[in-house]
Amino acid sequence: MRAVVKDGIATFSPQGFLDGNNANAYLSIEDVEAAKNLKTDMILVSLKKVVFFNRNGLDIFIKLFSKIRKKNIATVGFCDYDQNKYDAIMRFYKGDINFSLFKTLGIAYLFSSSYKNLNKSVLIYSEDGSQRSAIAIELHDNGHSPSIAKSLEEYNERKNSFDYEIDLTFLGQMGQKIATRVSGNAIIYTVSSFLDIEISDNFNIEYHNNSLNVGFRLFIFDAYKVISMNVHALNFFSRLSTSAAEYNATICFVGMKFDKTQISFKENMEDAGILFYNHMDDILQNKKLLKELGASSAANIKNKRTLNKESVIELPKFINAAAVTIEMMTNSKAVKESAAVQSLTIDKKEGKIASSIGYYGDLDGMVVLVFPSAIAKKACELLIGEDTNDIELILDTLAELVNIVGGKIKTLLADENISVNITLPRTYQDIESLLEVVQTRKGVQVELSFNGDKFLFFLTR
Amino acid sequence: MITKEQVASFIEKIPPEPKVLNATFALLKSGELVKAAKVAENDLALKTYLKNIVNKPIYGFKNEVSDISQIFGILGVSLSQQNVYNYMISLLSPKKWTLFKLNAHLFYELQANLSKKWQIILENLEIQDKELYTAISLLPASIIVTEALFSQNIEDVNLLRSTKALDYNTILVRLCGIDLFDICEEIARKWEMDESIYKIVQAASGVKPSTDKKINMLGKWMHLLLFYELSKAPYIKAGLNDFVDFQVGYISDIYDEFASLMEIK
Repeated sequence: MRAVVKDGIATFSPQGFLDGNNANAYLSIEDVEAAKNLKTDMILVSLKKVVFFNRNGLDIFIKLFSKIRKKNIATVGFCDYDQNKYDAIMRFYKGDINFSLFKTLGIAYLFSSSYKNLNKSVLIYSEDGSQRSAIAIELHDNGHSPSIAKSLEEYNERKNSFDYEIDLTFLGQMGQKIATRVSGNAIIYTVSSFLDIEISDNFNIEYHNNSLNVGFRLFIFDAYKVISMNVHALNFFSRLSTSAAEYNATICFVGMKFDKTQISFKENMEDAGILFYNHMDDILQNKKLLKELGASSAANIKNKRTLNKESVIELPKFINAAAVTIEMMTNSKAVKESAAVQSLTIDKKEGKIASSIGYYGDLDGMVVLVFPSAIAKKACELLIGEDTNDIELILDTLAELVNIVGGKIKTLLADENISVNITLPRTYQDIESLLEVVQTRKGVQVELSFNGDKFLFFLTR
Repeated sequence: MITKEQVASFIEKIPPEPKVLNATFALLKSGELVKAAKVAENDLALKTYLKNIVNKPIYGFKNEVSDISQIFGILGVSLSQQNVYNYMISLLSPKKWTLFKLNAHLFYELQANLSKKWQIILENLEIQDKELYTAISLLPASIIVTEALFSQNIEDVNLLRSTKALDYNTILVRLCGIDLFDICEEIARKWEMDESIYKIVQAASGVKPSTDKKINMLGKWMHLLLFYELSKAPYIKAGLNDFVDFQVGYISDIYDEFASLMEIK
């Protein structure tokens, strides 16, 4: 059984009965290897469609969790259960739970650093006071607004006026990945405690590089809770700042105190181009400063990268991946209508949405798909499964579609022994925000259509 | 990926009910076990199949049973009918499975397990209707149909299912507006199976509850039985555990009785 990956969480979904005789069968050696290599924040087992489980069955997954945690530092655990299942797990592992429990997958997403819906209001209740605090801290670090109910009565009284209510949830050993949130055009990483050599393992460099590639120019480290850092962390941040300079991006630290860290480190970091501020609002509430730092627009790239020969040679594969995916999703023939090397040109911008995905490895670049909203909905019908005008759902599904295109690109290139990885997809609710990212870049623009419905493919670096 | 035309072509290619089987059924229905056995003797493949099935451990016979009249005699009318139907369905299965890691042995094992446990369920529910014993035979046809329709698109399906948790039934409905169990019904109609058989199997999909209380209740038992079997290690390894969606809510009111009957602890 393979895990489904979305928004930084890989989920296994066994169905039916889970016991010591069958749980091993859910995970072949290849599945375990694939799970270990997943670059996700969390690996969870959904119990939604499990009607019976016992401790022996769960133990097999817990062994997998332990292997995964040795290989990467993802949060692992179970999700999608009711009160009875939660009570059973608590009874099985009383006092010895080093995995996490999330009542629903939706709740788990709130704790994923790759989750893009931020600033959710969340009401928390747990019988265990330390759990209540741990949940609130994690949520805050992930950019949400947690509120704690101190009793079940209070929880029941206040619920229904929050975006999410969290109960029956337990945070075991959490992943050590650095919490990430997006505020406007700035990316905020939350770091805490002692910063040492482990920062290079805990920092999601692929996400960071993807963010640079898709146009983010301001990166803020929320360092209020940092106690000190050593020379390894200093070198890491200096390197990060140097590589960001290639994109004309800025790295800032907010709230960092140097009473337990050598002050010379600050000077070294400033020499590497890192800026220091006392408070987050000093940056986020200062529009002039934001503009200077590059967060008001993502378009001011000094070092424009152009499409190289290697990408152009493989161009048919990229177009093929997009066409084949649309054909698979719509059961219709996708037809190439025109192609040209140019900057992205979109005649009518209204009513269009877009999605992009980056790839890196032997080749690097970015694929962009632009659709009229109604056509995007048609292209995503197989994934959506219902008639909807919910733009968030359509954008979310478009991200899934472009993720499949990315997967297809990876497979087609692998046939030629070209190894690439794909980044998380990004969606754009309007064309202006897409153009901020790519309008200065040249690439190959291809007009495609299926069933007479036109959409646009753009390949750039 | 899969078009309505492909589905129509699959349905069209379902072979008619073999004459020997037709005659065997007619005699079984009228309770003529000996005559039915004589007719069935003419189909060597059927004879081998029945011998193979009834000698599986789940039937619990101490000595090997090899003669068809002996098999029919031991099984009685309804179970003989059920096993002849199982044979008919097996005729549709591919020589080589590619989407699911199955083989003839494993598939027959699944048929035998489902059939025997369905018998236990019907006896527990004190249901005598002979046709209802045969309803379980049609259920594995959904697996055969999935294999036939999706085996040409394994890579695409895997890519799709790594992004979104979609079962084969949902993919087929969204692409073609017809589901696996509708195709099973087409098979049943073509082979002139009793209406109650495909109605129960439709309800057993878990997504189309029947308005007929009895049919719906049997659909629930069949749905849960299917997932009880598909939770066994060989079928999980074969990739069958999530080929259709398990509807936990649909079976919640019968679960305790099922667990007690199957001695699940």
